[in-house]
Amino acid sequence: MSMPVILAGCPGLTRDNLELGALSGCPSQTAAMLAENQSQPSALSDTPVLFCNLNVLRDSQDKSAGVSALGSRLCLYLAERETNPEKREKLAVEGVNFAEAALRQGGDSGVVHYYLALNLGLAVRDHIILAMANIGRLENEMKRALALSPEIDDGGPLRILGMLYLKAPAWPKGMGDRDKALELLERAVKQYPGHPLNHLFYAQALWDESDETVSPKVKDEIALGETLLAEGDWGYSKTPWKIEFEAFNQEIKEAGGN
Amino acid sequence: MMLKTRRMLLTALLALFSVCAAADPEIIVVCYPGGYVNIKDANGAMNAMLRVVERVGHWPENSFDSLFTAKTDECRKLMAEKNPKFAFTSLGLYLELRGQYHLTPLVQPRIQGRSSERYRVMIKKDRYLSLDALKGKTLGGTVLEEEAFIGKIVFEGKYDLANFFILKPSNQAIRALRSLDKGELDAMILNEQQYSGLVSLHLDSALATVFTSSEIPLIGVVADTAITTPEERSRFGDALSEMCGDAEGNKLCELFGVESFASVNVAVYEPMVKLWGEGK
Repeated sequence: MSMPVILAGCPGLTRDNLELGALSGCPSQTAAMLAENQSQPSALSDTPVLFCNLNVLRDSQDKSAGVSALGSRLCLYLAERETNPEKREKLAVEGVNFAEAALRQGGDSGVVHYYLALNLGLAVRDHIILAMANIGRLENEMKRALALSPEIDDGGPLRILGMLYLKAPAWPKGMGDRDKALELLERAVKQYPGHPLNHLFYAQALWDESDETVSPKVKDEIALGETLLAEGDWGYSKTPWKIEFEAFNQEIKEAGGN
Repeated sequence: MMLKTRRMLLTALLALFSVCAAADPEIIVVCYPGGYVNIKDANGAMNAMLRVVERVGHWPENSFDSLFTAKTDECRKLMAEKNPKFAFTSLGLYLELRGQYHLTPLVQPRIQGRSSERYRVMIKKDRYLSLDALKGKTLGGTVLEEEAFIGKIVFEGKYDLANFFILKPSNQAIRALRSLDKGELDAMILNEQQYSGLVSLHLDSALATVFTSSEIPLIGVVADTAITTPEERSRFGDALSEMCGDAEGNKLCELFGVESFASVNVAVYEPMVKLWGEGK
């Protein structure tokens, strides 16, 4: 898959939107209406509904919708559900576009930075060169989100920034830093204990430290995260998160842990 | 007639497929001792690099595949199990395994304008006056994963490492530096890349160099001369040499922090081979 270099802001990202085709059954709504009720589109919303919302926002000049993170958030939900990598990247890049437009219009909120970073990460994750070219920006956007709105998404900025430091190439080649990762992920678990991924990611950081022995703490964190996932209403996120838990359990098993 | 045409078409397609697809990829073992690296990502980056090598060297796509490790024991095991034609190794592993696997260096990386590096022992400024003052003290560092190499080549056999220092190997340079900064470690040994990266860190204490090694040649790719022909070695070496000049390859070279790969003069390693042989 080729990714034409078009944009200067995010090195190497393509900028053509996904064709939505003919959408049926969309309610009559405006961007202003969507902006007034921003909490409505969520991980629980049906995919056709999200596409209808996205279609409205694409052609909108509405100021309140434009400065918000709504468009970026919609794109992220859709991108996370998309299995075709090319379509997923297009949706994620559109999410970056929405967030950048919001920032240009003065929407400098933590939520905008948060969804910008998440979309950016999703857009580049399968392209190592693109990922490395954008990793600094990803860190900066997530740091800004953490400074402005640490509470978004049950500690999302702590969780994502922590994982970035855990997975990135280590100093001196990159920003990877396990000390920082552990600190942020421990904070995420303590301050926002209700999100399953906070526990999964903290368990991964602890496991990474433990040199292939599974500490009781790792097991406890996995168990807690799995319980939260099973008992909570996480909508369309439930399945991919379950797969993440399974993959981690498998990794531990293959390494000889219990 | 129709059946014959179909058969011919099928034969042609199969022939085309055999040209385009490599049956069993040639495994390239990649050893990066002491590094803190996400293995999946490292293999991803290496495979991206191998796709460029294949294109530049006119091999079918997926002719090569990589197996990455940051552990010396694992590297020895992979070399024994996979018996690779080509490998990316550290100098220490090359010196250790060269006889067993008939290894010869093919290309040498150029990093920050240099094809060699120095190792340095760092301390908190004014804490110790010389390396000898560190006897019985703690020495940390990622490069201690290759203890024999540090003893025989970096210290040129002048110190019995395990008895002279209390060794504290680490797979995270930044964590070891923080320990040095906090006084939990007495000294830390750094390679050139880590030493150059110190300026980007904001440590509380000023650090000083208490030992600097002689120039030590960098090593890139080695080949097993018993299972490769001179043509194969030349072709693989040439493809690597062209890689950083290729548009896509250049980005990967930047990612690895390498300016170029150049054909190597094997003689530059002879003093190292001698030191290794004499080493205590």
